Amino acid sequence: MRSIDRLFEKSSRALAQRTSRRSLLAALGQVLTGAALIPLLPIDRSARAGEAPATPANPKAKAAKAATDDPKSCDYWKYCAVDGFLCSCCGGSSNSCPPGTAPSPITWIGTCHNPGDDRDYIVSYNDCCGKVSCGNCECNRNEREKPMYRPSRNNDLNWCMANADSNYHCSVSVILGVAEK
Amino acid sequence: MRTIVIRAALLSLASCARLFAAAPLPAEHLTVTSMPSDTQHRIYVLDEAFFNEIDARVHLFDGDTYRRLGQIDIGFTPAFNLSPDGKTSVAATTYFSRGSRGTRTDVVEFTDNTTLKATHEIVLPSKRAMTLPTIFTLGFSADSRFLYVSYVTPAASFGVLDPAKYAVIDEIDTAGCVLVIPSGPNRVSSICENGTLLTVTLDAQGHEASRAFSDVFFDADKDPIFAQGVPETNGYAFISFLGEVHEVDFSGAQPAIHKPWSLLAAADKAGHWRPGGYQVGAIQRHLNRLYVPMHQGGEGSHKDGGTEIWVFDLTSHQRVARWPLAAQNLSAVLAIQVSQDDAPLLFAADDRADLAVFDAVTGKLRHVEKQMGQTPWLILNN
Repeated sequence: MRSIDRLFEKSSRALAQRTSRRSLLAALGQVLTGAALIPLLPIDRSARAGEAPATPANPKAKAAKAATDDPKSCDYWKYCAVDGFLCSCCGGSSNSCPPGTAPSPITWIGTCHNPGDDRDYIVSYNDCCGKVSCGNCECNRNEREKPMYRPSRNNDLNWCMANADSNYHCSVSVILGVAEK
Repeated sequence: MRTIVIRAALLSLASCARLFAAAPLPAEHLTVTSMPSDTQHRIYVLDEAFFNEIDARVHLFDGDTYRRLGQIDIGFTPAFNLSPDGKTSVAATTYFSRGSRGTRTDVVEFTDNTTLKATHEIVLPSKRAMTLPTIFTLGFSADSRFLYVSYVTPAASFGVLDPAKYAVIDEIDTAGCVLVIPSGPNRVSSICENGTLLTVTLDAQGHEASRAFSDVFFDADKDPIFAQGVPETNGYAFISFLGEVHEVDFSGAQPAIHKPWSLLAAADKAGHWRPGGYQVGAIQRHLNRLYVPMHQGGEGSHKDGGTEIWVFDLTSHQRVARWPLAAQNLSAVLAIQVSQDDAPLLFAADDRADLAVFDAVTGKLRHVEKQMGQTPWLILNN
């Protein structure tokens, strides 16, 4: 297991070295618990900059028309860039993988705005791995998501790629901390 | 009573007459249907099978007869492409030894398109890019001497394969740049995070001879290009989230990047029109036309499908048509492709998995093929 951890650490560090490291660990340092789950990736602090979220143009690509507090709803504020199946509908929760699956140690980090307390939160989008895709509660939101040439902002990649069982099952969104404005 | 007996006798006679008149059905022979000859209206529709993602497949479909011709199985989060002569399909995919779990095997599989039988394979290192399908995750050199496959672990590199000897030749590091854009007999370009293209030139044996970066031509923060390209005569058109078109000529030793132009007039920008989907453009070379699925959106809407297809002249950069889709009872279009013959067809797959066939000149809807798999996200043709 340790060798696997080292492998993940090596690949995460390699990725971080190739990408912008502005303001990387300032916030992460306060929340580095469960190191195996925390990827060493840059943080997008541009949460509220720029344009408003999209208006939904098709039923699959649900944008944040109403950020609800229901973790089984794609409109839940924490899911602002989840593209996959919600683990909350697959036996897990918004921050817990379903039984029998394994979290992806490498992943990407974004920022979502919680309208409940008007704060921006840094969230880690992890995939849960080792079983075939769950198929429930498909959610396709892409706020500030970038194409795969910017992997630290991309949700098209299967982040189970480095797991021993790299099959993709579902996605979670884990709060890492408050994004300082 | 007598009447009943007479009626029964007449009925019985009538039944016997029918039996005597109708010849019995002949015995049938169980056969296997042969693939029809290839045509320019054949398409290969990649169904990611997202709801049970280890079971992706390619549906072959004929745009003239509207017949489904057959299927190629392509596993988990596959890459897929055709050989330059169109005779071979290649898929780079992953299998697990126990179906959905177990030992991972990454492999490139070759299928003979005249029989739809798998013929050969190349086992890869377990590094294959597991991502959305584009033509830039797996592709042949122009002369078919080499086959290139994109790796992401997430460290980025690509594999050089020998499709004649079915062997891995080399792995070439592309740190900061991803995907494989083949050009000429021995060049591979990748899209870089800093807005450039990296071009690696290979020697005759398939190993790196040199590498060079292009100038910066897009801004990944302000207006990223989709990580895909629309094939045109000498290269590809790269479309950005905000509707800029970056045409790149790959016919020379290094890519030549043309001045970008916009899909959007001022009124279109005010209306928040944008390109979007999973395969966001198709070019008909003889008509000199670019087709793009367009929607009204904003930040984060880049995977929303098109509610209209817009048609542009590639010389004047003017829009020459817009084809609304709701009126045709189509949902948002996620992937489009066009044939290159003199009577071209435009194919469009929507987010209900329906496949529409249009006349690419007039926009007239010819056919809707319902339920082309679960999640048809890429359409290829010769």
